[in-house]
Amino acid sequence: MPVIEIKNLTKTYNETMVPVHALNGINLEFEKGEFTAIVGPSGCGKTTLLNMMGGLDQPTSGSVIIENEDITQMNRGALTDFRLHHVGFIFQAYNLIPVLTVKENVEFIMELQHRNKKDIADRVNYLLTAMGMEDKINVRPKYLSGGQQQRVAVARALVSKPKFILADEPTANLDSKSTDTLLDLMATLNEKEQVTFIFSTHDQRVMDKARRIITLEDGKVISDTKLKATHESINS
Amino acid sequence: MLIQIAWRNVWRNKTRSLVIIIAVALGLWGGIFSDAFMQGMAAQQIYSVIHTETGHIQLNQPGFLLNHDMQMQVKDADRIIAAIKTNSAVEGVSAIIQLPAMASTASGSSGIMVNGIQPSDQEKVSDLSKLLIQGDYFKSDRTNQVVIGQQLADKLKVKLHSRIVLTLQTTTGDIVYGAFKVTGIFRTHDSEFDKQMIFVRNKDIQQLVGFPPDAASIITVLLNNNDDTKKVATTIQKQFSGMQVQSWIQLSPMLQILSGTMIQFTLIFVGIILIALAFGIINTMLMAVMDRTREIGMLLSIGMKPSKVFGMIMLETIFLSLTGAIIGVIVSIASISFFGHYGINLSIIAEGFNAFGYSSIVYPTLGVNFYIMLAIMVIIIAIIAGLFPARRAVRLKPAEAVRGD
Repeated sequence: MPVIEIKNLTKTYNETMVPVHALNGINLEFEKGEFTAIVGPSGCGKTTLLNMMGGLDQPTSGSVIIENEDITQMNRGALTDFRLHHVGFIFQAYNLIPVLTVKENVEFIMELQHRNKKDIADRVNYLLTAMGMEDKINVRPKYLSGGQQQRVAVARALVSKPKFILADEPTANLDSKSTDTLLDLMATLNEKEQVTFIFSTHDQRVMDKARRIITLEDGKVISDTKLKATHESINS
Repeated sequence: MLIQIAWRNVWRNKTRSLVIIIAVALGLWGGIFSDAFMQGMAAQQIYSVIHTETGHIQLNQPGFLLNHDMQMQVKDADRIIAAIKTNSAVEGVSAIIQLPAMASTASGSSGIMVNGIQPSDQEKVSDLSKLLIQGDYFKSDRTNQVVIGQQLADKLKVKLHSRIVLTLQTTTGDIVYGAFKVTGIFRTHDSEFDKQMIFVRNKDIQQLVGFPPDAASIITVLLNNNDDTKKVATTIQKQFSGMQVQSWIQLSPMLQILSGTMIQFTLIFVGIILIALAFGIINTMLMAVMDRTREIGMLLSIGMKPSKVFGMIMLETIFLSLTGAIIGVIVSIASISFFGHYGINLSIIAEGFNAFGYSSIVYPTLGVNFYIMLAIMVIIIAIIAGLFPARRAVRLKPAEAVRGD
């Protein structure tokens, strides 16, 4: 059963005199444990598609079904709850909370979920160690490099064991070394945690690591290529 | 963690936060200190009136104060005084013969009120002996001594040891004259009192006008504690039901009204200051929200409930306001304590102050109740000021806000 099922998804922006069709009848399915890159030129609808999958925006028509539940029919409160418990987000600009330390930034989502302190401590320590950030737990984001900040953001996205992670241009602000390190760490955690990663990217290095590449153009899927089998399908 | 984030957010932009914190602190200090100043003036005026003019309670024949009819006498005054003195709340009691008269010198004349007193008793109910600027307070046993106010002395152009002639009506309706020697000149905070009231020994006035020896016009009572006034007045009224017993509040109702009005006036004053500050707080918080659009978008994206984002902004506003308020209150307490001890000397404008019965040295004072009311007002204003920025924060669309749009 797919983790995400997208059916006839359209999004039209009517904010200008000429309507902009950002998404134009998208049909896609994502399986558990995928490591997928959505690529395409600027304005092709990558970010809009991620926003629809993450429940951050409402489509004009169509549905986004997450484990048999159509999130496009959810109200604002239910969507907030859905995002908190089922989606991990990684942003281009890292978007860590500057007044919190590395550890507090990662703990924050689990605290919002009212998880017990021991669970929080165990999970946060595990992830920060996995991301090679164990010696920076009490440091605030402004003292970290871009690559380090994005590693913390990945830990934050994974901490609540979401069904899938949406990463919007996660390597756009990173140098090549940091990008390689980050992608290796994400690939490792993708396999260990069996969590679905969906990237929007222009970065060839991300495409090289991806096991599936979806290409969008003018709001339509023009190609969907599975390069390698998912970890789960290999095991099965 | 929400409280922790909100508190740390206050200090993210130190300069911006400090500007508004200082504004709140200074605004509140100004309001609180003004209030303490006015409360101090009112408290001093009340103290001054009680301790130089009315005492806490006065007992007289009903209607006496309307026309000072000398036939309206409190008979058997010694027995009444002895009975009142048995009350432990009473500090002193004094019988006064109060008669309207004309004071004349070669330079002029003036309508005045003669107060015939027993100096040792009067000292127990009045601070007048401490307010002498020249001479003494009936130290010698000589007859026909008079103690007058500086204002009257200036009007009649008399000095210490000058003689003034008092013209009075006797109990039989005849007019008599008496020459009195000025042995003391006082100055109170009330220039009208200084113009009107003169003090002589009661036996001198008794002889002059034929006033009965065991009678008085007024019996003045001073208490150990102002709070007991109503209770003791009721007790005395029950003991001497035929007499009129009045507290200083009834004798000087304007004083009580003034004191109460000042509290209301200053609360309105502080309220206006706080409302003005609220606009500064709204501006600061709006800037903070706009600066953090991307961050707030991220919080909403990752699943933080809008109510929590709203609460976080509200907490920041309250922390910002309370920090300023606490500093303002600390500075206020320090300055009120200092000036409450040493006083603020307003001698440059003393004449105007004295005309209204105020002292030229003001000792600011403020009750605990005011601080409690102030704390409530600050929190209410902070909540109101936080509503708009907090509402703006939760209305952000996460998908747009997270990109900083």
